[in-house]
Amino acid sequence: MKILFAEDETDLRDVVSAYLEFQGYFVDAVGNGREALARACSDAYDTIVMDVMMPEMDGITAMRRIRDTGNTTPALFLTAKGEVSDRVTGLDAGADDYLTKPFAMEELSARLRALGRRKREYNVRTLTFGNLELDTEASEIRAQNTISLSHKEVRLLSCLMANTGRDMTAEELLEDVWSDEPASVDIVWMYVSYLQAKLQSIQANVVIMGEREHPFRLKEI
Amino acid sequence: MQQTDLYGPYRDAMNTVLERMKEMIEESGKEYELLHGEKLYEHLVCRIKSEESMSEKLSRLGFEADTWHALQATDDSIGIRIVCLFIDDVYETAARIKEFPGCTIVQEKDYIRNAKPNGYRSYHLILDVETAQTDIDGRTPGLYRVEIQLRTIAMDTWAALEHELKYKKNIDNQDLIVQELYRCANELAACDVSMQTLKRIIRGCDGGGYENTVCGR
Repeated sequence: MKILFAEDETDLRDVVSAYLEFQGYFVDAVGNGREALARACSDAYDTIVMDVMMPEMDGITAMRRIRDTGNTTPALFLTAKGEVSDRVTGLDAGADDYLTKPFAMEELSARLRALGRRKREYNVRTLTFGNLELDTEASEIRAQNTISLSHKEVRLLSCLMANTGRDMTAEELLEDVWSDEPASVDIVWMYVSYLQAKLQSIQANVVIMGEREHPFRLKEI
Repeated sequence: MQQTDLYGPYRDAMNTVLERMKEMIEESGKEYELLHGEKLYEHLVCRIKSEESMSEKLSRLGFEADTWHALQATDDSIGIRIVCLFIDDVYETAARIKEFPGCTIVQEKDYIRNAKPNGYRSYHLILDVETAQTDIDGRTPGLYRVEIQLRTIAMDTWAALEHELKYKKNIDNQDLIVQELYRCANELAACDVSMQTLKRIIRGCDGGGYENTVCGR
C-alpha cells in the first residue's frame, strides 16, 4: 500500500510517516499542495492523506486539481478542530473522508483501512478513452465490436485507464490488481497480452504500449 | 418427385465446382499439416443450397424462384464452411484460398473484426470460380459463385444456436434470449482471443493481437 502524505508541519509529518511505515505502508511525504499535486500526477497511490492549510498551494486546491485529472485515488483530509467549512469544502473538493487534528494514530490507520476496503466502489461504471468504452458492471469493452473481459482484466484495464498519462510498472499493476492473492509479476504480462488482443479484436483506437519487463501505458493511436 | 430442378442444367457444373474447391482446400490442408505438424482446419462442410431453402430465400428477397435468380441474385448457391481451432488459422486458411488458381475474389467480409450487431462472427469469402462448363451467362469456361464461411469452433457453435432461434417461431422470452445470445457471442470471442494469445505465449512469441504476425507455425 502506497500513501501520498502532504503535511507542512515537519514534526507531525515525520511522526505520522514513521508510524505509517511501521504499519507496513510505503509513504511519500511532501510539505505542500503543489508537491502533492505533482506527485499524484506522476505516481500511482492507494491513498492520499492531505492537510488543508499548507503553503504554496492549500490542500483543497491540490485535491480539486488532482480530481480534475481524472484521478480517483481515495483521499483523506486532516482538518483543524472546529473548522466545519474546511471539512465541507474538503469533501466537496473530492476528498472521501476527514480527520480532525489532533487525532489518534490508531484512528488514522483504521480510516486508511476503511478507505482501502471501499476503493473498488469509487470506480465509475463506464470509463472511456479514445473510442474505447469499458463497462465495469457488464465486464465488457466496446469500440467497433463488444467483447467480454474477465474480472481481473476489468481491474487491470480500469487501472490503466485511470492512469493514462503515465507509465505503470508491472509491479504497480500487480499490487493494484492482484493485491489480495499471491501472484507473480509474470501474470501481469499475460493479462496485458490478453487485453492487447482484445482491444485489437474490437478495433479500439487504443493500445497498451510496453513490452514484457517494461512499464505499460495506455495510448490512443 | 419434382422433375424440374431449380438449378436447371447448371447443377452438374455446380457439383464440379464444389468438388474442385473441396479438393483444393483439402490439398492445402494436407500441405499445411505436413509442414507444421498440426491441422489447418478442424473440419469442412460442403453443400449445394437445397432447392427448398433457395426458393425460400429468393421469395424473402422478393425475387422469382427461378434458375436465373438462384444463380445470379444470391452468392451462396454453392457454399463451403471451414471450421478452425484458432482465429489465426481462420486467417491463414483464408489467405491460402485467395491464392487458389481459377478463383477470383468478389468480396471479403470480415465479421470477426466487424461483428454483426447480433454478435455473429465469421469470415466470409465470396469467389467466382472458373470451370470448363458453360455458365448461365453463356460463358465457356464458365464462372460460378461460391461462398466460403470460415470460423472457429466457438463461432460455429454460436451460429448453430442463432440459426435455430431464427427459424423457430413463437419463443417465450425472445428478447431475453437474443440479449443473452449476444452476451454469449462476446464471451466466446473473449475465449477465442485469450486462447490464441495463450497459444502464442506458449509458442514463445509474446504479445497480444492476432492479426499482424504469423508465428508458432
